[in-house]
Amino acid sequence: MLILTFINGLTIAALLFIMAIGLNLSFGLLRVVNLTHGSFYLLGGYIGLSVFKATGSWVFGMAAAGIAVSIIAFIEEFALLRRARGKPTLETLITLSIAIIISDLLIVIWGGNPKVMKIPDLLKGYITMFGANVPIYNIFIFCFACFICLVSWLILQKTKIGMIIRAGVDNFEITSTLGINIQLVFTLVFMTAGFMAGIAGVIGGSYLMVAPGEDWRILTYTLLIIIIGGMGSFGGTIVGSIIIGMIFSFGSIYVPQFSLFLMFAPVAITLVIKPKGLFGRIT
Amino acid sequence: MLIRIMYYGLLAIAFSFLAGQLGLFSLMVPVAFAISAYTMAILETKNILFFPYSALLGIIFALALSAFLGVLVNRSKGTYFLMLTLVLGQLVWALALQWVSLTKGSTGISGVNIPYPFNMAKNGSNILFYYFILVVFLICIILLYALINSSFGMKLRGIRESESRMIMLGYNVSLIKWAAFMISSFVSSIGGIFFVYFSGVMNPDSISLNASVQAMIASIFGGISSILGAILGTGIIKTLEIVLSGITQRYLLIIGVMFLIVIILVPKGIMDIAERVLKFGTRLFKKNSG
Repeated sequence: MLILTFINGLTIAALLFIMAIGLNLSFGLLRVVNLTHGSFYLLGGYIGLSVFKATGSWVFGMAAAGIAVSIIAFIEEFALLRRARGKPTLETLITLSIAIIISDLLIVIWGGNPKVMKIPDLLKGYITMFGANVPIYNIFIFCFACFICLVSWLILQKTKIGMIIRAGVDNFEITSTLGINIQLVFTLVFMTAGFMAGIAGVIGGSYLMVAPGEDWRILTYTLLIIIIGGMGSFGGTIVGSIIIGMIFSFGSIYVPQFSLFLMFAPVAITLVIKPKGLFGRIT
Repeated sequence: MLIRIMYYGLLAIAFSFLAGQLGLFSLMVPVAFAISAYTMAILETKNILFFPYSALLGIIFALALSAFLGVLVNRSKGTYFLMLTLVLGQLVWALALQWVSLTKGSTGISGVNIPYPFNMAKNGSNILFYYFILVVFLICIILLYALINSSFGMKLRGIRESESRMIMLGYNVSLIKWAAFMISSFVSSIGGIFFVYFSGVMNPDSISLNASVQAMIASIFGGISSILGAILGTGIIKTLEIVLSGITQRYLLIIGVMFLIVIILVPKGIMDIAERVLKFGTRLFKKNSG
């Protein structure tokens, strides 16, 4: 039981990591806390579900979800956020209002009943590890998140665009004076975050469920991760995800009455000793 | 209807106090509302304490928690503050939802009656209590208005404009911010008490993200720098809620769209439009008579 709870915690951590890294990057670069990120997740989940039902291919559903959400992200960035550049409160409010709109729109289109997305046959089943039956799907989620982690780390550290992004996160005024089209980078990062949220929506949809309210739930967890781990920090996101994932898993099993509330503890501690997050680098 | 405007209005007023004067958008004003409301509801339904002690204890608990939370959030500003309060608000909501043994979860606590001295009206209506709430409401507004126009209000606005400058001038900015936070929570907790007494029930819906966001939207609609604006905004939103619910279940969508339009086009809200119309009108008038 302990092993399973631990594995479950890692799985949730992995799922949330995919969300958190997108949110953290777009915050680091654009200085906007994209509150729409949760809605992106759920939107991806619903789109993936419909495409899966229509085509029978889970992978196709995932791809479609990712692409669709990144398009919506692009529209949001292009049409709205640009107008508010430089006014962070306004930008955040805009993302919040779009989140509300999308959230309700999803109920209009797909109805208010919770839906379950089936795990693709390839990923069903268990393997025995450390004396417990571990679902293969959990391992998949974990490996997928590690893959994303590795790929994004490589891009950030080893490519030119990664360098530009890191520079932009540290000091975007100077970066923009270097003649780099920083606006394009903004848009790309925002779209990529949306893409990842959409994919996470499909993955999470099969693991948890696709239902109204999941968007805010996931958003809350993701925000917690970023608060604990620190804005703009890659390593912090990993640490934060693991902390939140574990608390969620152990909390749900052992003290379900307080599981969400328990997450408050690391947040409170972090805020007192390191208000910018454990590894935070952004003011 | 007016009573709903009063207790929801208190939420919006609490929000707009922090947002308009300090520039801090707090999505956790319903937290104080919740604590006072739940404390009171639990005390009353378990027959431990009654008005006015239950109400007083409710407010004290709410203030105590806000004192603690106020210290936590004090170091953050701007977007980070909004994010933080969103999360904290959600945590309290989740606690209300999940701690079923205490709060009965989503079923909520019901059966709170209007306190004894006030339900002795002739025909059994709640008129006396209504007037009592109205009086308390007006007193709150007057107090807040006085605060806003006092040197305290000026200090708050100074902090909003430039926190570093205020620190340099020697003001204890953390303390002032914390005080403002406490005041906002106080207003909100009173709203909570009204709510429980008048509607008789308390459940986590009243403190969901929905509620926080509605307080914010109401306050921004009406105009963030004025109390009247917050009240007006609440009135509009509540009216819309009733009207639109008759037509469609998804009124939140419409409010969301309206919110988007307002913040992009008319960020200062309705009061600003009203003021501009008034100024324009007076100018016209002066031209004609001069």
